Amino acid sequence: MIKSFRYLLREGIKNIWSNRTMSLASVGVLVSCLLLTGAAVLFSMNISAAMKTVEGTNSVRVYMQQGLPVLSSVKAGEEIKKLDNIASCKFVPKDRAIENVMGMLGEKDANLLAGMTGKDNPLPDAYQVSFRDLSKYKDTVSKILKITGVGSVNDYSDIAAKLTKLDHMVTTGGFWVILLLSLVSLFIISNTIRATMFSRRLEINIMKSVGATNWFVRVPFIVEGVVIGLISGVLSSLLLQLLYGRLVGTLTSITLFSPIPMGGIAVPLTAAFLAAGSLFGAVGGMISIGKYLKKEGGDIVDW
Amino acid sequence: MIEFQNVSKVYSNGTQALKNISIKVDDGEFVFIVGQSGAGKSTFLKLITCEERPTDGEIVVGEQRLSELKRAEVPYLRRMMGMVFQDFRLINKMTVFENVAFAMHVVGASSREIRRRVPYILSLVNLQDKAQCHPRELSGGEQQRVGLARALVNNPKLLIADEPTGNVDPALSFEIVDLLNQINKRGTTILMVTHEHSLVKHFQRRVVEINSGAVVSDSCNWEARDD
Repeated sequence: MIKSFRYLLREGIKNIWSNRTMSLASVGVLVSCLLLTGAAVLFSMNISAAMKTVEGTNSVRVYMQQGLPVLSSVKAGEEIKKLDNIASCKFVPKDRAIENVMGMLGEKDANLLAGMTGKDNPLPDAYQVSFRDLSKYKDTVSKILKITGVGSVNDYSDIAAKLTKLDHMVTTGGFWVILLLSLVSLFIISNTIRATMFSRRLEINIMKSVGATNWFVRVPFIVEGVVIGLISGVLSSLLLQLLYGRLVGTLTSITLFSPIPMGGIAVPLTAAFLAAGSLFGAVGGMISIGKYLKKEGGDIVDW
Repeated sequence: MIEFQNVSKVYSNGTQALKNISIKVDDGEFVFIVGQSGAGKSTFLKLITCEERPTDGEIVVGEQRLSELKRAEVPYLRRMMGMVFQDFRLINKMTVFENVAFAMHVVGASSREIRRRVPYILSLVNLQDKAQCHPRELSGGEQQRVGLARALVNNPKLLIADEPTGNVDPALSFEIVDLLNQINKRGTTILMVTHEHSLVKHFQRRVVEINSGAVVSDSCNWEARDD
């Protein structure tokens, strides 16, 4: 059995080479399918990570109304502290806020804001407020908004909702695109293998005449499919890692958002790609040879 | 070795290929099957190799009643037969050695067995010097001897040859049948379909004549008719 298997394995690999144009087309389609799937998964993972970061910051900034006297701000602060679910409430005077902004801009650009200190400071006073229980987030925010003197609260729940919506869109859209591409890949793979099969009709015919079982006829074609799948899996994994690496580099340099690094997911991603690729290949191979053996009759000698 | 008991075959398009045939071929016999095209010779072979199943009657090959044979068991039945075709059916990209070895791979033989057995069989058909040639480099007669070697390599009890001399020079036809004769002397049952009356007359073996789906004569002193 093992001897036969080694022989059949070699035959399967030979098939790919003798039918290389179609094999290449199969690899191409399967790689694009896997790449898109991988991209959608990575996108989804990043959105989840981003949402966790947003949710993890259990603090909000409460801005006072523009031009509110300091005394009123302090009074509003006292009221905030009185609410339950408040862990801490730290006053951020507008003078410090403008200093922070100037610090972020760097020395050169900070001069632009030089005339905006003191009395001309356009920023309002604020409080950095953190919550004890995040599940009461919305409730607490609405209570804070009712306090006199409070102008606005920068509310992260809105961003979280938008991210969830985006994630849903990508998941649903991705699902259909991937489904369609999967069908296309299966079609192309099974046609590639059917092409090899027709070029090996005589061999199959002789095999049947000397008493080959249907499994013996099938195995090389399944091997062909699996090898095409494995090659596609490796290629798409490498490509995705390369592209994602580039993207992460660019994103980190231009935005504050830091995408999840490839390092941790490279191995499971490659494994999933290899598994998916070989599964597709095997199924593609089985479809075509199954059809052939059924249609032509598994027992044709053709006298 | 082979027994047909009141066998009839009607194809799905209504053609009656065989009509109530009963015939017995013993172990070690050499039988020529003759008859015009469309007489039912191919159907006769197809029924033995289980490519077709009879509409009526029973066929026994070896000890096996074919009506009891499941589809998955057909390959194992075929392993006791060797088949030789008119068009040789050699794989051109393989060498002579590989063509013969191919039949052994199919039945799961080891490389060691293959290395030992193939040269022996090639020497039996006098092709030991052509082992590394490709079929296209050989004459028709030589190609058919490769086909014969392939049919023999798995040591079948029954050899079925369908017009094995049909694409071979008349002079070399005798050589092929002579080889079959020698193989038969070693105990292999041989069934050979042929059109060539000169061969049949020359070798003086049992002759079964099929015409319009029926056995019209079965004798050892066969005389070709004018029709």
